[in-house]
Amino acid sequence: MEVDREDGRSQNQLRPLACSRNILHRAHGSASWSQGDTKVLAAVYGPKAGTKKNENPEKACIEVIWKPKTGQIGKPEKEYEMILKRTLESICILTVNPNTTTSIIVQVVNDDGALLPSAINAACMALVDAGIPMKHLAVAICCCLAKSGYVILDPTKLEEQKMKAFAYLVFPNSVRSVLPEGSLRVEGEPIENGIITSVTHGIMSVADYFYCLERGRAASVKLSDFLRRNLQQQSTDSSKAG
Amino acid sequence: MEGRLANSWRLTVNDKNFIKTALLSEIRIDGRKPFEYRKISIKFGREDGSSEVQLGQTRVMGMVTAQLVQPYRDRPKEGILSIFTEFSPMADPSFEPGRPGELAVELGRIIDRGLRESRAVDTESLCILASKFVWAIRIDLHILDNGGNLVDAANIAALAALLTFRRPECSLGGEDGQEVIVHPPEIREPLPLTVHHLPIAISFGFFSNESILVIDPTHNEEAVMGGRMTTTVNANGDICAIQKSGGEGVPQRVIMQCLQLATSKAASITKQIKDAVEVVNTERALRKVKRHPTSTGVDVREKQN
Repeated sequence: MEVDREDGRSQNQLRPLACSRNILHRAHGSASWSQGDTKVLAAVYGPKAGTKKNENPEKACIEVIWKPKTGQIGKPEKEYEMILKRTLESICILTVNPNTTTSIIVQVVNDDGALLPSAINAACMALVDAGIPMKHLAVAICCCLAKSGYVILDPTKLEEQKMKAFAYLVFPNSVRSVLPEGSLRVEGEPIENGIITSVTHGIMSVADYFYCLERGRAASVKLSDFLRRNLQQQSTDSSKAG
Repeated sequence: MEGRLANSWRLTVNDKNFIKTALLSEIRIDGRKPFEYRKISIKFGREDGSSEVQLGQTRVMGMVTAQLVQPYRDRPKEGILSIFTEFSPMADPSFEPGRPGELAVELGRIIDRGLRESRAVDTESLCILASKFVWAIRIDLHILDNGGNLVDAANIAALAALLTFRRPECSLGGEDGQEVIVHPPEIREPLPLTVHHLPIAISFGFFSNESILVIDPTHNEEAVMGGRMTTTVNANGDICAIQKSGGEGVPQRVIMQCLQLATSKAASITKQIKDAVEVVNTERALRKVKRHPTSTGVDVREKQN
């Protein structure tokens, strides 16, 4: 089915991705991620001493601060903070530095659709830049369902507003390992098929949701490749002194 | 919380003595001379009114937005200009989220005084309908990286954002001429703000031994210095504001020296800002020529109540 998107992309085409690490000097880790015109800046400070009040001191604690572009911090920002916190808690190895807090600060520079997935990707890259131990990376993508039933990936803000429903999906990144393939499967499925986070807005049928998942998984492989290339390139040419 | 105290960054005694001793021979730790400014780079975002300024290691983002509101009762024919400074926790481990601390408030007030009281931004042209509708311009300054001298960088970010901001054009209409119609950008070109002059803030640091003076201190120097002074001057040689709150006493001739230095630096910084804005404006004009309007405009009518 041919779909006309305003910027000329096809259904499954993502916007141009750009990512750079280590852009701030005071923060322990920082990354800027942009998908088309959506741009997010993430900074990591950690691990710092002590956990927050109700947190378990036998594990590391993650704190997320979401800073919108303009205006007061309200409920949507608190929701994003909670989703980010839970997503990142599931990918970080929390037992390595118990009784510490790692703070992740996300600053929205420009919002043109798919803001939360961009923020998750940026936060992940910033954690890598800071050297926080993680099990694997998180790769986030946004899938939209239109009224006529077709699914598009990575919408712009205008597209998001016109859609019937959309889903933010976060998958683990694709694994490239020297271990035999069988040992990396979880209950018979490869690791990258697992879903870390799924946030949906609007009504969609079960079949549509599974279709979105399939599309999202396929896109996450491409995103994983982009991340891998980006990380390998930057680690060979930068030499961080302390 | 005790955990937070552990995060405040402190400079060691050795580092402090090193900085002071080096300054006696007019050497600064980043290789600059005492009266040398760091490199300024000004970048702009996709939309009108968003700027990002990097002054050495300090990084500030400015965003300007506008809204139609009722004016203050004692100033019915003037628009409203408000500045919000966000000391983001990403800039420095000691910045806490939540209510702005003293530094944030002081920074906001210095920039506010430079822009508003020197009449740099023309607020009377922001009035649409006296006592009913005026434009309220809101400037958000986000400090992203604290490499020292936040005031100067934030000021440049605010000015760059103001110069590239475009507000929608609106006209009076309706039966009795009391309705304000805001035209969307596709129908009528948005208008720039009227900025008469550019007040540039220049900060100085004073050190206790032998009245040593440096311009544009880094955050290491800020931890060592005994006093600071921020002068806001413009390229015409007018002094818009001087802020020296406490710190050690400084003789008169040093203040005069600072003001003269500030005026000369202000001229070069003004030129840099204007050049950067010029480049962005021509780029945007070229982009608009190629644009095809894809939607028909919708009139937004705001009635008086």
